[in-house]
Amino acid sequence: MKRKILFLFLAAYMVCFFSSVSVYQNSISSPVVSDKGRLLPVQVKSVVKAEDRKQLQKLIKDSNQVNDKFSIAGMQHSQGGHTYYPNAIMLDMRDYDQILDFDPKQKEIMVQSGATWDDIQKHINPYGLAVKVMQSQNIFTVGGALSVNVHGRDIRNDALIDTVKSFRLLAPDGRILNVSKTENAALFPLVIGGYGLFGVILDVTLKLTDDELYQMRTKMVDYQDYPGYFKDEIKKNPKVKMHLARISVAPKNFLKDMYITDYLLADDQSRYKRYSKLKNEGIVAVPKFFLGMSRYSDWGKNVFWELQKNYSKRLDGSFETRNNVMRSESAFMEYESGPRTEILQEYFVPVDQYPGYIDDLRSVLKQEKDFNLLNITVRFVEKNEKAVLSYAKDDMFALVLLINQGRSTAERKETERVIRRMIDVTLKHDGSYYLPYYHYPTQGQLKKAYPRIDEFFTEKTKFDPNDRFVNLFYEEYGK
Amino acid sequence: MTYQRFIVSQSIVIMASSIVFPFYILLLRNAGDSYSQFGWAYGMFALSAAFFYPVIGRFSDRIGDQLLLIVYSWAMTLLLLLFPLVTEVWQVYLLQILMGLLGAVQKNTEKTSLVRHAENKQVGKEIGKYHSWTGIGGAIAIILTGYLADFLTIGSIFYIASLMYMASGLVLMKKTKLSKKAIGDMNKVSTK
Ligand SMILES: Cc1cc2nc3c(=O)[nH]c(=O)nc-3n(C[C@H](O)[C@H](O)[C@H](O)COP(=O)(O)OP(=O)(O)OC[C@H]3O[C@@H](n4cnc5c(N)ncnc54)[C@H](O)[C@@H]3O)c2cc1C
Repeated sequence: MKRKILFLFLAAYMVCFFSSVSVYQNSISSPVVSDKGRLLPVQVKSVVKAEDRKQLQKLIKDSNQVNDKFSIAGMQHSQGGHTYYPNAIMLDMRDYDQILDFDPKQKEIMVQSGATWDDIQKHINPYGLAVKVMQSQNIFTVGGALSVNVHGRDIRNDALIDTVKSFRLLAPDGRILNVSKTENAALFPLVIGGYGLFGVILDVTLKLTDDELYQMRTKMVDYQDYPGYFKDEIKKNPKVKMHLARISVAPKNFLKDMYITDYLLADDQSRYKRYSKLKNEGIVAVPKFFLGMSRYSDWGKNVFWELQKNYSKRLDGSFETRNNVMRSESAFMEYESGPRTEILQEYFVPVDQYPGYIDDLRSVLKQEKDFNLLNITVRFVEKNEKAVLSYAKDDMFALVLLINQGRSTAERKETERVIRRMIDVTLKHDGSYYLPYYHYPTQGQLKKAYPRIDEFFTEKTKFDPNDRFVNLFYEEYGK
Repeated sequence: MTYQRFIVSQSIVIMASSIVFPFYILLLRNAGDSYSQFGWAYGMFALSAAFFYPVIGRFSDRIGDQLLLIVYSWAMTLLLLLFPLVTEVWQVYLLQILMGLLGAVQKNTEKTSLVRHAENKQVGKEIGKYHSWTGIGGAIAIILTGYLADFLTIGSIFYIASLMYMASGLVLMKKTKLSKKAIGDMNKVSTK
């Protein structure tokens, strides 16, 4: 009797054991992925690490028989599922990060697309060279940066698209194409700002510039005076190379006070060597703490603004190299919370529209007491309509909003409502918005902000008729 | 159940639980996604244990330590098969409650067994010896896990632990050496 029970138990155990293993294996072979926005976790077919060109080419060629779909992921700082798609194979480009060629005389570098700006900076800094256009932080991949056509603090080196000499593209049919302004030229403005929908950017040749020593100039201004100040003191002064501003989100001077940081070419460049060592991420406990406070209370927001302002005042007159300006801190923004997440929005408005725009934005946000806006930085982008999905229809200010929100469906709906209102205001002022974020905007808003969006998706379908490359952005707006 | 068997089986149990523990924490962290949920998961474990202790105490007097320990081992054997499959917080909570119950069974019965065995003897010495043996089991396991973790998935560690619990149960079940005939006779007796 005991024996029988034992055998029964063992048999039942075996069944349970193997079913558990098989369910488990199934679940790890189709992993759930999510980008840093954490609002769109999705089960994909598999994640494949990109190793070399041959492997990638074979994957794409083979898939033409079995009809696999692909999405492409860099660091996944985009926030709208731009890097994955249900049941598709996600190509993880992060290890595809070699520096292939570097010519300090020509000031050019060729890298694999999974290389980060940090990788490049470490390589070129000893030669006194620097990147021309990139984000304020250096944590992103080159492939991810090209695909969203980034902009940064630089105000003199045009747009990213003008700093790309050429790249190679693994096309949906498995061919590898050279793409530049002269070769396969039609693809150039589609792939840059193309959100990974035209194929895999393999390697990229970028134009570089000299690393220089800058002296910081910080200043408080009222939002009404900002456009004038920008035109007279910044744009007209050739010594100002980079620029960044902030506008207050503290209740006591909400969307009124601003402080500005300009980076002017230092008079005495012989001091460059003294500052040229690349800085590392410093201790972030203090800003992290105060940003944390500002998440929870108006009081915290007031304190955080004062702190930022005073810190900026202290920086006035200090020196920093171009490379170091472009590797600014990001760790203090990292935010770990279960039910909540932090998302970005970015709105572009023509320089002259700025004061009126801010007034309208303020009156919308004053009605939205529960909308937790934590920070706004302001950059400048010069008119540049070379990319098909260009956001810089004019000389514009770019406002990046950091928003703390809940992850539940109801809270998402709430955020969506407010964001749509803000985008309406932006569009009313002839503005546009940035696409690498969550799909809150409506189809109509997209069309208004990007008049060439239909052309973009038409070209996508022509070039990739089987939808080999897909992502949730495409799913939401392109189908 | 001889005392020897009891020690061997409990050493295996301690080994298995030491292997699993660090990964269990990881699992809780992954499924629950805030520290407060993590806190809740642990709280439930403790509460469920506290709730069940008195019941178990009464049971162990009535049905005996051996049976309880076997039930414990085998329940863990099965429960561990669920761990790799957990994806939702509520599942973690449920597991935590069951783990609390089973943990209480093990802790309580381990102690009653020790006390009953050590009766009339030097209790301190016996319990010291017991902890030293099971401690060695735990230490070996933790060191091995360090190596395992490098080349196994988290899931397989739970499966290994499940097999170990199974072994610990078997050790307890085995009668002191009996011939086939004797077992047959016993079966006859017990089916009557
Ligand atoms: C904290 C923070 C600060 C930011 N600051 C700025 C800023 O100052 N200026 C700015 O312009 N933007 C900024 N952004 C936006 C950011 O530049 C984009 O989200 C960028 O795409 C992130 O790069 P990534 O490597 O994470 O790309 P991912 O998010 O991994 O990918 C972005 C897109 O590129 C595609 N892609 C990636 N690699 C390849 C490849 N090899 N071939 C083809 N397609 C590819 C993906 O499919 C996806 O559509 C910021 C974002 C965050 C979170």
